[in-house]
Amino acid sequence: MGTYIVRRILQMIPVILGATFLIFAMVFALPGDPVAGKCGERPCSAAYRAAFIEKYNLDDPLPVQYGKYVINLAKGDLGTTSSDIPVADQLKLRVPVTAKLAFMAILIEAVIGILAGVVTGIRKGGFLDNLVLVSTLVLISIPIFVIGNVAQLYLGVKFGLFPVTVTSANPSFYELLLPALVLGSLSVAYVARLMRTNLVENLRSDYVRTAISKGLTKRRAYGLHALRNSLIPVVTFIGFDFGALLGGAVVTEGIFNIPGVGGYIFRAIRVRDGASVVGSVTFLVIVYLIVNLLVDLLYGLLDPRISHD
Amino acid sequence: MRGTARTVAVAAMSAVALLAAGCGSGDSSGDQSSAAGGKTGGEITVRGCNPQNPLVPSNTTETCGGNVIDAIFSKLVHYNAETAKPENDLAESIDTTDNQNFTVKLKQGRKFHDGTEIKAKNFVDAWNYAAYAPNGQSSGYFMEPIEGYGDLQCTGAGDDPCAGDGKAKSDKLTGLVAVDDYTFTIKTTEKVSNLPVRLGYSAFAPLPDAFFSDPKAFGDKPIGSGPYKLDAWNKEQSIVLSKFADYTGDFGGKVDKITFKIYTESDSAYNDVIGNNLDITDEIPTSALIDDKYKSDLPDRNAQKETGVIQTVTFAPTKVDPNYADPKIRQAISMAIDRDTIIKQIFNNTRVPATGWVSPVVDGYKADQCGEYCTYDPAKAKALLQEAGGFKGDKITLSYNADAAHKDWTEATCNSIKQALGVDCVATGVVDFATFRTEITERKMKGMFRTGWQMDYPSIENFLAPIFKTGASSNDGDYSNPEFDKLLTDAAASTDEAEANGLYQQAEALLAQDMPAIPMWYGKTTMGWSDKVTGVKITAFGTIDFSSVALK
Repeated sequence: MGTYIVRRILQMIPVILGATFLIFAMVFALPGDPVAGKCGERPCSAAYRAAFIEKYNLDDPLPVQYGKYVINLAKGDLGTTSSDIPVADQLKLRVPVTAKLAFMAILIEAVIGILAGVVTGIRKGGFLDNLVLVSTLVLISIPIFVIGNVAQLYLGVKFGLFPVTVTSANPSFYELLLPALVLGSLSVAYVARLMRTNLVENLRSDYVRTAISKGLTKRRAYGLHALRNSLIPVVTFIGFDFGALLGGAVVTEGIFNIPGVGGYIFRAIRVRDGASVVGSVTFLVIVYLIVNLLVDLLYGLLDPRISHD
Repeated sequence: MRGTARTVAVAAMSAVALLAAGCGSGDSSGDQSSAAGGKTGGEITVRGCNPQNPLVPSNTTETCGGNVIDAIFSKLVHYNAETAKPENDLAESIDTTDNQNFTVKLKQGRKFHDGTEIKAKNFVDAWNYAAYAPNGQSSGYFMEPIEGYGDLQCTGAGDDPCAGDGKAKSDKLTGLVAVDDYTFTIKTTEKVSNLPVRLGYSAFAPLPDAFFSDPKAFGDKPIGSGPYKLDAWNKEQSIVLSKFADYTGDFGGKVDKITFKIYTESDSAYNDVIGNNLDITDEIPTSALIDDKYKSDLPDRNAQKETGVIQTVTFAPTKVDPNYADPKIRQAISMAIDRDTIIKQIFNNTRVPATGWVSPVVDGYKADQCGEYCTYDPAKAKALLQEAGGFKGDKITLSYNADAAHKDWTEATCNSIKQALGVDCVATGVVDFATFRTEITERKMKGMFRTGWQMDYPSIENFLAPIFKTGASSNDGDYSNPEFDKLLTDAAASTDEAEANGLYQQAEALLAQDMPAIPMWYGKTTMGWSDKVTGVKITAFGTIDFSSVALK
């Protein structure tokens, strides 16, 4: 187990290097001139341009630029944005907010989704099953910005149950509850459906029948054996979703004005702020790798046949 | 220039074009504001956006930083919130007899926020710093009229013009002399009749000595001279200003504290205003503009005003695209555009059809300078095109930057042209603003493309010289007309204001004959506020006038 984790962590290094280089190359290989548009409709003065290019080493060839970037990265310096704000500072402020939101959304989708999936899986074809089927179908088919805006308008502006937008740099649990519900709503549907399908399949399998005929209670046979086996695809999905949520939810963050990672990356891409894009995406790559590792370790817990030793 | 960078800002937002995000009832007066009065003191929150650069006045060319800079820096003159007329602020007087040698006398006892007095050298040093090219200040070009500007520029070629022999010869403008603590003189290279009007632009703000010892720290926490001082800039979240106790000028505010809350979407700011979580938003989202929805959402809590912004469509230089060389073809295209319908259907009446190249809010504006060429008349347009021998290319193109809300109106404009002239017209999106501007400045873009201008200072000259003078920095169509240039020079030399304006108007009239760019519409700004505040006024720049805002 220990050697497996070490091996996985070592494998991350080339992945991170490769990914950052790809992103770096893509960001700086965009057509057009990075200084253009910085001074509005008029061309920037030569001096302004020179100062800008020097600051970001834009006159070096790409590999040299990247080399300088990685050396700084190893020192923990993610560079500065074009507004001269250290990217690391921005991430320090934003990652906790996004993480809090992501945890809340994941918790909501896991609890509600798994519960709904189990209940409908055991009572296949009943009223509840059809109800969940229809409601998840509705959730899946409505775009998130509609859900977000409608929830904000009715629950926030009209009834005042929730704050309309997030107003503090360090939002409270309550401020993030509505956005988390909105974010989780889509995934709840997927989790519930995945759970139900897998459970139905496993309940028909031989080992459950054997367990029941050996005299295990239904609860034990279903809960301990069938449920654990059915959770594997669900955990995979939740892990992937968690990684995606940590990358920020651009639309939801925009609607509720949440100072998170998603909106930051989105804006950085639009204003061609290379350092911000590369810095934050590098961070996301690392997050994804770690989440992946955690998911793989969870498999081992759920199904002893999958061993990492 | 600030307005264009508004277009940059808009590229970073999903909202409607910033060039006046407003909603019109269609009435041209449109300037309502809540009754003045209210009490003094208290705190307000205002929608803000992210300043793109450190907050140095001579390096801030976009609205997000500009709104803050305006509140914390005093200049020699202040523009009246209602009329945009310049009024002396830090200046006791600005005198000239020949429009070339100006004597500026300062009011005594005005202070910076660090307690030091504002003296003549603070202006001289600040302007020298802005003009000195190696400092890379984006508004440095405002110093161009001052004598000696050329010696502060780098002349080298290649990537770094300031290296080696290209180094700037001097770091001091010869035309700026501090006579004593409260007097300095400005000598310009050529005659500039509207220099005193220009001096209200933020690039001309004085800077305290503390700036020069550490410009970087200053950019994070500027020490200004205005009625409000900056307490904190929480990057990407909020900017907090509070009343400066030692402010002795005439343009102080009523509230004690102003917090700019940074929003990424105008929709969420708007919803916060409805819910009274935010006091003022200077941008109404498109969704609330449709059918004047905002007026029922915010009854008696909204205002609208025309601002010094114009949207134009510029023709590529003739050597880039000869198909549009004949002015008749350009005039025909202009007459083929149904501005009224486009404004109604796409902008919900938040624009005003342009009748010339100069915004109505500025000094020297004259209506109907474009005459019949800016009036929709498909029959005449077609006749004019035939007179010119028809359109030689295979289709007319209108390019725009696709990262902002320009698709709808450019396509509508093209449809209007197509229907009137019977020539195919295509609106072409360019991936983003940076690429779009690169293609234009490198003179690679053919056909027509969208251009916008927001005034730097409220003068007719600002809508003509920087855009249409031969070789001017924003002359994207390479327009060159000796007669036009001469009229501008004569106007700048005229010591009589009315005469100067008359000459500028004559120059503008020439644009109707040559049609280097098609005037489309003027901008409007719409604001909404919570029921806690009163006295919200919109300036001609589309900003909030903080001197009149108060809590009820």
